Amino acid sequence: MHRLIWLIPLLPLAGAAVNGLLGRRLRFSETVVGAIAVSSVALAFLLGVAAVYSYGFGSHAQWPAAYVTSQDGAFGYQWIPGGATELTQGRREGAYHITPAARAEAEERAREIATETGTPPGAVLTGAQPEPRVLGALLDVEWSYQLDPLSSIFILVITGVGLCIFVFATGYMHGDAGFYRFFAYLGLFMFMMLILVMGSNFMMMFVGWEGVGLCSYLLIGYYFDRKEAGDASRKAFITNRVGDFGFALAVFGIIATFGSTQYTTVMAAASGYPVEPLGQFGLMSWLALGLFVGACGKSAQIPLYVWLPDAMAGPTPVSALIHAATMVTAGLYMLTRTNVIFQHSQTMMLVVAVVGALTALFAATIGITQNDIKKVLAYSTVSQLGFMFLACGTGAFVIGIFHVMTHAFFKALMFLGAGSVIHGMHHEQDMRRMGGLKRYMPKTYWTFLAGWLAICGIIPFSGFWSKDEILWNAASTTLIPYGWLLWAVGTFTAALTAFYMTRLVAMTFWGKERFLEVHAGGQADEAHAHAYDEDVKQHHARTESAGDRPHHAPDERVGIAHIEETGGGSHVDARGRDLHDLHDPHDKLAHAHGGHGHGSVVPHESPPSMWIPLAVLAVLAVVGGFVGISPAFTGGAHVGGRMNIVNWLEPVVWNPSTKQFNAPHGAGGGEHAANAGDPHAEPNAIAQNHGAPAASTQATPAAHSDAAPATHAATGADAGGHSSPYGNDTGFNLAHAAESSLGGHTAAEWLFIIISLLAAGIGMLLGWLFYVKRPHLPDLWAARLGALYRASYNKYWVDELYGLLFTRRTMDAARGIYAVDSKGIDGAVNGSAALTRRISRYTGNFDRRIVDGAVNGIAGFIGRLVSPLLRAAQTGLTANYALVMVLGLVVAVVFFFSGDILGLVRGR
Amino acid sequence: MTLSGWEAAFFWVFAIAALVAALLTILAHNAVHSALFLISTLVSVAALFVLLGAEFIAGVQILVYVGGVMVLFLFVIMLVNVGAEERGGETLFNRPAQVATSAVFLVLLSLGFIYAIRQGYEGLLIRDNLITPEQRAEVANRRRAQQQNLRPAATGTSRLSEDTQLVGASLYRFAALPFEIASVLLLVAIIGSVMLARTARQEAATGDLELKDEG
Amino acid sequence: MNNLIANTFALVWQEAAVGRWQTIKQGVVEPDLSKFLVIAALLFIIGVAGVLTRRNIIVIFMSIELILNAANLNFIAFTRYLQDTGNLNAVAGQVFTVFIIVVAAAEAAIGLGLVIALYRNKETIFVDKIDLLKW
Repeated sequence: MHRLIWLIPLLPLAGAAVNGLLGRRLRFSETVVGAIAVSSVALAFLLGVAAVYSYGFGSHAQWPAAYVTSQDGAFGYQWIPGGATELTQGRREGAYHITPAARAEAEERAREIATETGTPPGAVLTGAQPEPRVLGALLDVEWSYQLDPLSSIFILVITGVGLCIFVFATGYMHGDAGFYRFFAYLGLFMFMMLILVMGSNFMMMFVGWEGVGLCSYLLIGYYFDRKEAGDASRKAFITNRVGDFGFALAVFGIIATFGSTQYTTVMAAASGYPVEPLGQFGLMSWLALGLFVGACGKSAQIPLYVWLPDAMAGPTPVSALIHAATMVTAGLYMLTRTNVIFQHSQTMMLVVAVVGALTALFAATIGITQNDIKKVLAYSTVSQLGFMFLACGTGAFVIGIFHVMTHAFFKALMFLGAGSVIHGMHHEQDMRRMGGLKRYMPKTYWTFLAGWLAICGIIPFSGFWSKDEILWNAASTTLIPYGWLLWAVGTFTAALTAFYMTRLVAMTFWGKERFLEVHAGGQADEAHAHAYDEDVKQHHARTESAGDRPHHAPDERVGIAHIEETGGGSHVDARGRDLHDLHDPHDKLAHAHGGHGHGSVVPHESPPSMWIPLAVLAVLAVVGGFVGISPAFTGGAHVGGRMNIVNWLEPVVWNPSTKQFNAPHGAGGGEHAANAGDPHAEPNAIAQNHGAPAASTQATPAAHSDAAPATHAATGADAGGHSSPYGNDTGFNLAHAAESSLGGHTAAEWLFIIISLLAAGIGMLLGWLFYVKRPHLPDLWAARLGALYRASYNKYWVDELYGLLFTRRTMDAARGIYAVDSKGIDGAVNGSAALTRRISRYTGNFDRRIVDGAVNGIAGFIGRLVSPLLRAAQTGLTANYALVMVLGLVVAVVFFFSGDILGLVRGR
Repeated sequence: MTLSGWEAAFFWVFAIAALVAALLTILAHNAVHSALFLISTLVSVAALFVLLGAEFIAGVQILVYVGGVMVLFLFVIMLVNVGAEERGGETLFNRPAQVATSAVFLVLLSLGFIYAIRQGYEGLLIRDNLITPEQRAEVANRRRAQQQNLRPAATGTSRLSEDTQLVGASLYRFAALPFEIASVLLLVAIIGSVMLARTARQEAATGDLELKDEG
Repeated sequence: MNNLIANTFALVWQEAAVGRWQTIKQGVVEPDLSKFLVIAALLFIIGVAGVLTRRNIIVIFMSIELILNAANLNFIAFTRYLQDTGNLNAVAGQVFTVFIIVVAAAEAAIGLGLVIALYRNKETIFVDKIDLLKW
């Protein structure tokens, strides 16, 4: 079955092609467009499930070896027939060490190439003789797909979550004029994303990478008639270009270093390079840096995160699919895919971890003060991506991918929930105009609650498992120093996350129904945008002046004002009902108009096409985390065999201490039997990798090889020691300290679990206190922390800073170049033209008087003599001139072969 | 390099067809007939290309020449009135003296060419004989192996696609600059033909020509 | 002149009569590079003849196409020859041919534009009526 994986990306592409190319011409109805799009993705999902099952659990299961479709001829062709490349190996000796074995192998390869091709391609036109290059490889880029533990997770997440979002979008985009266009873009995006994760080499990844960038651009700018959408799309595109530049450089570097783009080849070759400890910035670090810049751009890390919040200008399903669940995790995919390269550089691991932690914190602090529901979710996404990078930086690539998966579930769920709210509120996104929606949209509310609990990290929900593992790994890592500091930042950010997510839920679903008040006065938007603030202020003032007044006083006041203005509560209700009917999703025309009006509206529950995907995602958000259940709950082992995502993904990760890829954990949960079957794992490597720490008396920490096996290897080497696989001391290690003081591995893990749960609980409690119990508190604290509040509210002025630093500079440069062009170059041209004109006036005079005089004089003289002859030759007929040319040709032939022709004439 | 068997037969068929059609091209009274004979010549030459293993070029020849250039010719013939020649009212050739002179020189030229080809080819044969038969057999084997060892794939590859890939790779890798220059040439040709074929009124509209007042 | 014609006939006769018949027969049954070159040369000559003798400018253009095609045939024949004698990847001739076809297309476009302009101005397409080169 996994031979058919090449069909998976093609199905969404086919759907997109049909919708995009024929949708307008054949005037497809929304039903047809939706059916085509949803069915194509559903088929792809089913195919993906079948392929992954067949790959991992079927009778011909290949797990954990990567399956590349070109291996058995299932699919693949030579996409870019390259040629002999010269490698940089050995060029810069000293920067890194090249072993004699590697050199000999490269030379052997070069000889092979020379015999394989007969003639090196360079000789095709020059006719040079084949000469073997000293160091070369045959660069062939093939188009084939790879199925391995990593890509299988991504395939399932992309198609599965994508299917939910497609279904949701059929409801959400209902009545939109560009329905077919939307689904064509979305299908194209699915195709590109699948190419990105399924390609078997860096070139294909780059194609997908740029492709999803393009689709993101198209979809952010979907409402292209709105300026901010257009601006946001361009911002996203340009910011991503910065990252892509780094990525492209890294790919070039990889080609130059390894002579191949195929993952399997590159990773195998990279394994042999020496690791670079902190402070040494060699080849591997440079490659990793380029890749990391690319990942920063796509996954919205500092300093390239600025595009993601603006990208919320796109339709909400797009935000859910592209800017939360899939595309922004492409950076994580790349990091994990190239973890061999990253793990070769301790410096870059530290950089990844620090950038991740900082991004998480930074975005979370911004998210606290935003009022646009989608903006809050966007900053939350950036923050969660930061968590994932933190995981990767601490060596826990597997946990990073686990968080990608759970995050895809709960963040897609929350975005779709927000979309449902926005839909129900008739395209209102400002949370200050919401509130109390629990009563109006119960299904959306309950599903949203699941997502809320998941992202806050409450215990059985999916977000808890992955986030807790990330924090535990940050605390326990020995790959990089200052893990405990990263853990502290992460835990604080987790609390912040819980706080602002509670704020979002409170402002949207709980409390009083502010939209009634907001819309009572009519259309004056700006005045009412701050209704919430004013409301709180008045409330505040009132409680200050008369502290014993009941808290619901403002409600009454609002109610009265409302009645006064509209002339009776019953009337309001009638009007609301009218509008509700008017905005019934089944009434296409009315709905199309309803999207833009800000009349007095009563929110309505969304149609089934929207809440069913919500329900599915909610279930996933609740139970999705159990595939990676923490070993602390299961007696210190990752149970479930391959069904456990940690065991499933582990063979993808390279281990810097054993200098090999991790050995797979067989079929049985935590069994080591499969290790023996692995031909590549040397016995001592296994012993080092999984050897039980002598000091630990807990059950089986050896089985707890959670993508940071270095931890345990190091523990085994010297109990409680901090030496990293890079051979240097990583300093104080919080987890080891906890282990030694609590006397056990699992106990320490439980401690951290409790701490992270406490942090989440505190965050949620504070959120509840601020936004439900005492609504005047936020304002009070905003005033108290005025500077901080303003900084956060204005997103730390990063956009303005970038505008000042880069945008303005670029504009200035462009203006400068324009000035140079218009003044300098045009001036030079015009000046030289003027000069030429002046000179030509003089020379013209000279020409007319002296030269012409001489010529005329001589011509007159000669003309009388030879003109009759020449005039006869110059007939002016083309044929005559051609005849003379042929005559010349004859003369030439006769000249070159005169001897032979004479021989012919004379009879040899 | 020799052709044999059916290839040889086809060679003679197409070679003679090409020559006869070429002769008829320059002898036909009607320009449309000329164009049609020229098409036959081009198709026959394309067939010779196929015999020589240049299928891609043959395809290009058919597409560009027959499909593009010759259609252009027919359009122009349609646009300019050649009725007089068609009716036989005009002489076909230039002045008799010129035709006679041309014929003499052309006979000389063709004899010279054919003789030169014979001489040159003997030189090539001598050069070829410097290669031992073993070496020649090895070349043939390599060529066969190259064609047989194509990787199987779902999309399917053949010698044809491999050769075409080779041409494409050479075009883009070694002849990239001429390739770009050729594109500029085509652009110039487009602009030039548009500029040339304008009517007086069109030229006047762009200010390139001052149209005289028509009364 | 008589000598030339006589000698040419003598050559053919010698080849035919004095034991060379086998060679000629082999040349017919197994055409080699020289045959292609001869065909190309004859096409070239026919093209030149068309250019020199015809009055109709359109037919002259067609003759030029013939000439270009003769060159193409030469290139392709030599490409095949090189491929068969060792250089498996020799495609330079084919690349050149592509360029020649491009040039021919450009030339046809420009030339036929010229023809139309000419016809508008002079109301003729006969080259012997067009002697503007002699002012």
